[in-house]
Amino acid sequence: MPRPRPSSPYSARSPSPMFTLPQKESRKPTTCPGSVSTRGLHSIYGDGLEREAARKPDQKLLYGVGDPTAMFSSDSPHLSSRGSIIKWFWDSAEEGYRTYHMDEYDEDKNPGGIINLGTSENKLCFDLLSRRLSHSDMLRVEPSLLQYPDWRGHLFLREEVASFLSFYCKSPAPLKPENVVVLNGCASLFSALATVLCEVGEAFLIPAPYYGAITQHVYLYGNVRLVCVYLDSEVTGLETHPFQLTVDKLEMALQGAISEGVKVKGLILINPQNPLGDIYSPGELREYLEFAKRHALHVMVDEVYMLSVFEESVGYRSVLSLEGLPDPQKTHVMWATSKDFGMSGLRFGTLYTENQDVATAVASLCRYHGLSGFVQYQMAQLLRDRDWINQVYLPENHARLKAAHTYVSEELRAMGVPFLSHGAGFFIWVDLRKFLPEATFEEERLLWRRFLENKVLLSFGKAFECKEPGWFRLVFSDKAHRLRLGMQRIRQVLEGKSQVAEDPPSCQTQEPRGPHR
Amino acid sequence: MPERAWEEGGVEGGNKSAQQIWILILPLRFYSCATLPKASNFSAPGVISKRSWEHGCRAELDGARRDPAVSASSVASLPRARATRAGRWLLWEGGPVLCPPFFRPLTCAFSASALSFPHQEGKQGFGDPFWRSHATVVVVGAPALCRRGSSQPDEAHMSIQSRSNPSDIPHMSDGQVWDQAFRNHSIHTCLMEMVLSLQQAVADHITQLATRHQQQDLVPEEQGHNQPIWGQEALLGRLMFQMVNHLQFGATGGQKFQPPCPSEDSKGDVRSREQAQVSKQIYKIFYQLTNFEDTSINYVLSNRGVETSALYHGSFQDYNTYQGNKYHEDKNTLGFINLGTSENKLCTDLLTERLSRSDMNYIDDDLLQYSDWRGQPFLREEVAQFLTYYCKAPAPLDPENVVVLNGCSSVFSALATVLCDPGEAFLVPTPTYSDFVFSAHLYAKVDLVPVDLESQVSDANTHPFQLTVDKLEQALLNAKLEGKKVRGLVLINPQNPLGHIYSQDSLMEYLEFAKKHSLHVIIDEIYMLSVFDESITFRSVLSMESLPDPNKTHMIWGTSKDFGISGFRFGTLYTHNKEVALAMSSFGYLHGISGITQYKLHRLLQDREWIDNVYLPTNHSRLQEAHRFITNELKSSKIPFLSHGSGLYVWISLRKYLDPCTFEEELLLHRRFLDKKLILSCGKTFMCKEPGWFRLVFAATPLLLKHAMQRFYTVLVEQEQDWVVKQLEDAINQEVEDLPASDASQSYSREVILTSGLEGCCSDLGL
Repeated sequence: MPRPRPSSPYSARSPSPMFTLPQKESRKPTTCPGSVSTRGLHSIYGDGLEREAARKPDQKLLYGVGDPTAMFSSDSPHLSSRGSIIKWFWDSAEEGYRTYHMDEYDEDKNPGGIINLGTSENKLCFDLLSRRLSHSDMLRVEPSLLQYPDWRGHLFLREEVASFLSFYCKSPAPLKPENVVVLNGCASLFSALATVLCEVGEAFLIPAPYYGAITQHVYLYGNVRLVCVYLDSEVTGLETHPFQLTVDKLEMALQGAISEGVKVKGLILINPQNPLGDIYSPGELREYLEFAKRHALHVMVDEVYMLSVFEESVGYRSVLSLEGLPDPQKTHVMWATSKDFGMSGLRFGTLYTENQDVATAVASLCRYHGLSGFVQYQMAQLLRDRDWINQVYLPENHARLKAAHTYVSEELRAMGVPFLSHGAGFFIWVDLRKFLPEATFEEERLLWRRFLENKVLLSFGKAFECKEPGWFRLVFSDKAHRLRLGMQRIRQVLEGKSQVAEDPPSCQTQEPRGPHR
Repeated sequence: MPERAWEEGGVEGGNKSAQQIWILILPLRFYSCATLPKASNFSAPGVISKRSWEHGCRAELDGARRDPAVSASSVASLPRARATRAGRWLLWEGGPVLCPPFFRPLTCAFSASALSFPHQEGKQGFGDPFWRSHATVVVVGAPALCRRGSSQPDEAHMSIQSRSNPSDIPHMSDGQVWDQAFRNHSIHTCLMEMVLSLQQAVADHITQLATRHQQQDLVPEEQGHNQPIWGQEALLGRLMFQMVNHLQFGATGGQKFQPPCPSEDSKGDVRSREQAQVSKQIYKIFYQLTNFEDTSINYVLSNRGVETSALYHGSFQDYNTYQGNKYHEDKNTLGFINLGTSENKLCTDLLTERLSRSDMNYIDDDLLQYSDWRGQPFLREEVAQFLTYYCKAPAPLDPENVVVLNGCSSVFSALATVLCDPGEAFLVPTPTYSDFVFSAHLYAKVDLVPVDLESQVSDANTHPFQLTVDKLEQALLNAKLEGKKVRGLVLINPQNPLGHIYSQDSLMEYLEFAKKHSLHVIIDEIYMLSVFDESITFRSVLSMESLPDPNKTHMIWGTSKDFGISGFRFGTLYTHNKEVALAMSSFGYLHGISGITQYKLHRLLQDREWIDNVYLPTNHSRLQEAHRFITNELKSSKIPFLSHGSGLYVWISLRKYLDPCTFEEELLLHRRFLDKKLILSCGKTFMCKEPGWFRLVFAATPLLLKHAMQRFYTVLVEQEQDWVVKQLEDAINQEVEDLPASDASQSYSREVILTSGLEGCCSDLGL
């Protein structure tokens, strides 16, 4: 009978990884998450903030063991301890998003509404997709689609996914349908993988900044944490570009985590990277994989932006295209249609792994992550239609992305705002550090709120666990008129011309962490 | 004698060789502990015979096992003669003859003769009573890989993991144990294939090693394993692991998931947990052996990952078999007929037609984008209205209280997570829907405390399996005494598998009980519109004027059963508690439904006219018809059953076909149905306390039902005949035992008596 222990993974931690020295706290993973006292978290939060503010700027952060519940401060009589935390996740996640939903921009009905340049969605190709999905071949209804499926996904779909990935990832040998598991989105996949690969309280390494929602995905059910491998905007030593991931950094973060008693089970790579838009070269990728093999880590490669590389010169290579993976049994590839086909509402994600144990274990959880038989049928139809994808969709999508990207980057240049972008993804990583009076996350949040009050929603760096305050992610994959208006509003804020008062009264609200994906 | 048999077999000699690989797999539960001591008295090949597998004649085995004086050779000769028929069984049966020397230990491992393994004699030997009662576990050892040239296996490497304590070992009679094992065809087929590939892998490995030996002078030993050998070892490990999984599920068979409950019948709980641990142990041992210089042990899956897989395999094995070989009236008449999964297949024509109408094919930007994670607002509004109407809510329900996820399992899993911390529990009247057991456990790690109901009608029990507040109180008290923290009560109304409907008064009593103990109440009303008997009034919990504790009453509904669209993945929660609704919203990320599907559901639920005038009347009349057919069949064959005019199933009692009336026999009967390609769900799956109950789903086309019932009767007739044969055997055995036992040749004569006696009796009976 597990009993609550004070040293559970829910125990209090500083709000963000702010230590350069290993902390010898007793935070052994236990088998009983939850049921811990959540009192006193608030004071620790405050303490952490002070420390954060007091931190000397010359200290260099190498890694940090994330604790998603660090800021958690309320408890409920109706919910379990973990239920309260889960609710808090929801509450804190929604601020930006909720504000946006209450006041969405609409050309005719609400021209003064909020423009959303924060959520990474491709809104440029709905016309193409709606047309394709309304084709008569999509409308078939079969009794077998109405009944309980194979929980791994219908075989016809898994076959289609395997052949689709073989083609677009340029795999040296055809991929096999039995290595494919289909679920309702990559969020579910993260949750399932975390659960089957880690015990409660164990961790994955992840280079930061990263797509912040992963924190929640691996935590909700899995109780798995993320150890950030902090990357720098400054180019030093042998590095060739900002925020470069090196094996040294991975090694140091891993050693750091081990010294804190955190057991690391895997490494998460996002390629093309979100929010940096970075692409790992085959050489780099192989180095990271070799690193993982050396330490017997699983590697989860999230390639959800794989077909959204709109700059042809970039030369993107999927991990599935590599000949002779260092550790194929521990390399797991994720893909979804949310980004590459601009259908985040469709909820379709897939895992490719040669490891049958992992595939089976994930499939065992698919009962909870199933998607409708119809949607499976439609996805199979869509992925099968290579002609449409190659000749209509991809060229058009890339051209539109490129145009939008060109427009936004020119605007930013004109404003004198530095940014990073590598010709992949839907976003630009914008450096607004010089607009912060002080290099703190408080100031970053204030700036973010000023944007919101001037009716444009962005995502700030803290939500991606970026360790340098002042970075923002700006999504450009939106229609021209909205983009223009959005950029205009950003300019107003940066030039200090916004209509809104400088000092917003709502400093007490919680930090938002949006569905930024 | 037994030892000598092995010496003759060459194990002792071969063991001295440097290339010796020791792969020792101790019999798992179903090569049961109980049989080990006796079985050790004759050599391996005799134990597993094709004939016993076919459960045609138990006399041979029983006779052999009962008599320690039976000589190894006499018994061994029988099955070996039959081995030719059994094909792949040769590997098992004729081990010493067929296998290359290095492979013998493996063969012996599958036999009970592992008991006399040469290096395990004495205190640590498997013959020791300690191991007899603990030998539920597989031991994998390959000391030769680690210490070449050592003739003695290192004791540390032969570490035996004993998981269970004696009381956990299921007590079965020998015959049951064997039959249970051998009827499980699919598992054995898998196993055989694995053994073969394992054999191949081992052979390859030996070749590798041998090659290395030749180069030994050049390569210093310290360099350790080179790459290919490493790969070989990994492969070996994987194969072992898979085999173990299969063995374990052979052991528990289709027993599905054992509920984590403290009652006396629930030793399975410990077992199922053990299974995961055991599998883990295998990995551990294997890695320790191969990697023993490297202290960090790595496995592919986490403990809970292994457990999840194991649980899933155990629970859905039959279902997966079915998926691979479905009955089809034209294409596959020999396929499985599934009357085990509760799906309504009577109205697929109506739904196909409705869902093909043009209004369903609407695509909008909004449907393709991220939406509100609680579900699209239009769908939640529709659900609120739908439930207001069909549950006859006194006041309109609030869309803000609706959470929409991809299926009721997901709803339950998420709800259990936000209401309970790991290790806390829900009360649940049993028999109950098996999926809840599964869902409570997999992600949420919440326990279910059964409130055992009885079929016996008594003063306190006016109808079979009646739920009373007294029973609830008692179960709660017991749970508390055992230190369980109970957070809620789970009710299913209409009940699954009983088909029972709670009256408004009793529902109120249960709710009051929950309030008194400040428990949450989760009410699953997923069969709410499948009440096909018009004389029965179903009252939803949402129809009550005033709930005792609205903040702790949560109602689950979905379209899977009532609309027969389980492939749609839609489940919904209605709760008055905003906090719970919000906390559940976080799970929208993980259990989200496609926007397109949400739209279709919205249209479907909106079309009241079609539902009221077309769908529900047709569905109910078809259900009635199918129900009438089944109940008439059951009545005419005098099979007792329970059914209350709702749901898609009848709860039938086949106790009279079980002798003795145990869960093991229930499982055997279940396997018999499977052998005849008929899937039913056995009572154990529903945590039923009494063995012998089955759930039979009747919501299938008349043709399919007719066909299924034929298979059903065939099995029952066979079962009865077997029973008669067994009675006769027992009688004969009794006689034989009374004969004077003096010399060794007696065993032969005994066989003759047994066989001829049986044949005589059988021919008399016309069997």
